[in-house]
Amino acid sequence: MSWFRKRVWLYAVLLGLFTWWSMGKTEFEVSSFQEFSNAYSFIHDRFLPASWEILPTLIDPILVTLAVAFLGTFIALLIALPLSFAAAKNTAGNRLFYYFNRFFLSVLRSVPEIVFGLIFVVVLGLGPFPAVMAILLHNIGVLGKLISELIEAADAGPQEAMQSVGAGRRIGNLFSILPQIWPNVLSHYFYRFEVAIRTSLILGFIGGGGIGQKLFNDFNSFNYTAVTVEVLLIMLLVIIVDLFGAFVRKRVI
Amino acid sequence: MIEFQDVTVYYPKSNEPALSHINLTFQQGEFVCVLGPSGAGKSTMIRTVNALQPVTAGNIFIDGQDLDNWTSLEKRQWRSRTGMIFQHFHLIPRLSVEQNVLTGLFGYKHPMAAFAGVFSQSEKKKARSILQQVGLGEMAERRVEWLSGGQKQRVGVARALMQEPDVFLGDEPVASLDPGTAQSIFALLKDVHVRNDLTTIINVHDVALARSFATRIVGLSHGKVIFDGKPDELTESGLEHIYGTVLQA
Repeated sequence: MSWFRKRVWLYAVLLGLFTWWSMGKTEFEVSSFQEFSNAYSFIHDRFLPASWEILPTLIDPILVTLAVAFLGTFIALLIALPLSFAAAKNTAGNRLFYYFNRFFLSVLRSVPEIVFGLIFVVVLGLGPFPAVMAILLHNIGVLGKLISELIEAADAGPQEAMQSVGAGRRIGNLFSILPQIWPNVLSHYFYRFEVAIRTSLILGFIGGGGIGQKLFNDFNSFNYTAVTVEVLLIMLLVIIVDLFGAFVRKRVI
Repeated sequence: MIEFQDVTVYYPKSNEPALSHINLTFQQGEFVCVLGPSGAGKSTMIRTVNALQPVTAGNIFIDGQDLDNWTSLEKRQWRSRTGMIFQHFHLIPRLSVEQNVLTGLFGYKHPMAAFAGVFSQSEKKKARSILQQVGLGEMAERRVEWLSGGQKQRVGVARALMQEPDVFLGDEPVASLDPGTAQSIFALLKDVHVRNDLTTIINVHDVALARSFATRIVGLSHGKVIFDGKPDELTESGLEHIYGTVLQA
């Protein structure tokens, strides 16, 4: 006798087959693991010692990266909040309106930031503005979906109470749901902010400015000791944003 | 005066009516307790009074006017004059006691003023005075999550009082509370009822509470009125008639 049902064994076999197929498709070779020791010598020989003297020149690019990530995600949150009420089953009011908004959010979410970035760099020119727009549009889709799911999972009791005092539907929904979901909205926001910092690096590779562009240029010109400083600075920024998010969330709860 | 005329309610995808051919009249000043087992239609009946639940057939008249003919705005205006309290309180978490009480004014406020949380000094003073009345004068600033069940229900009563209601509805308001707290909440409801000359209709499972506080008892079973009379007219056999299947179980 086993704790697991027969169906679980079947799923395990299917999962094993899919893993094996994926390894073939990605040329995943266990024997290649021994090559990783080269990575250590590569980093040790080329990336160290770090060129700390370039630190002052990185202040402005890292602030640009921070601004791109913040502005893109913050404006996305402002747009996604009302949109998510229109994309939640329990607050949309009209089924057709609900499906339309869901579809709209899915479309925005399905286009990666890099694709938006490539389009906007051509349309708007090089610099951080196209990166802001790329992060903004993608994050409306992501935050809109996440917040609409929080709205759908909110306790319906306060909504009924607001209906029973004669409140209008929109105000009633807003007041009964937003206080319930607010800490999780902030949690999602700060996570997306953190992701946006990493994304803005990639967007820097295609001309979106910030420290990403600097990192890309230094990597291409084999200036690896500068790359070390840039990577460490990015890691520091991500950690600061994470800590700040945790602090804000704690204050709000 | 609230008058039910042959009211029937079916829920979607249900062949059994939640309410079946109800004929009742509630006069101004009555304190009515509705008894009945779970699924008897008590909550449905309460919700038809303030138009949260539409009726399938029949009519409900409020002071002689057919509720069915009212526009959605008129129904909202009627709800703003109908205080309602719930078993699970339905308070808004993360807001303070006072803020929860002030939401009772949302039926009267302009949406933008409600959104911005703009309340006049007199409205805030009124909220504080109601909180004193329900025994929570010292807790206005406290967040509602940190209150006990009885205190939460007092906030629910205060929110309903903030509406200056003509009618007070209670959907099992003491079902989640211990007997002592339930007794004190009922005493508060009776006090509020007398002071404000309300029409009060409350669903309750506790027969002793209904007998001590109600001026009239309505017994429901399978969506039908089984008993309608004064508390002292409700005999043991009458109770068994209402709760028959439950008692046998």
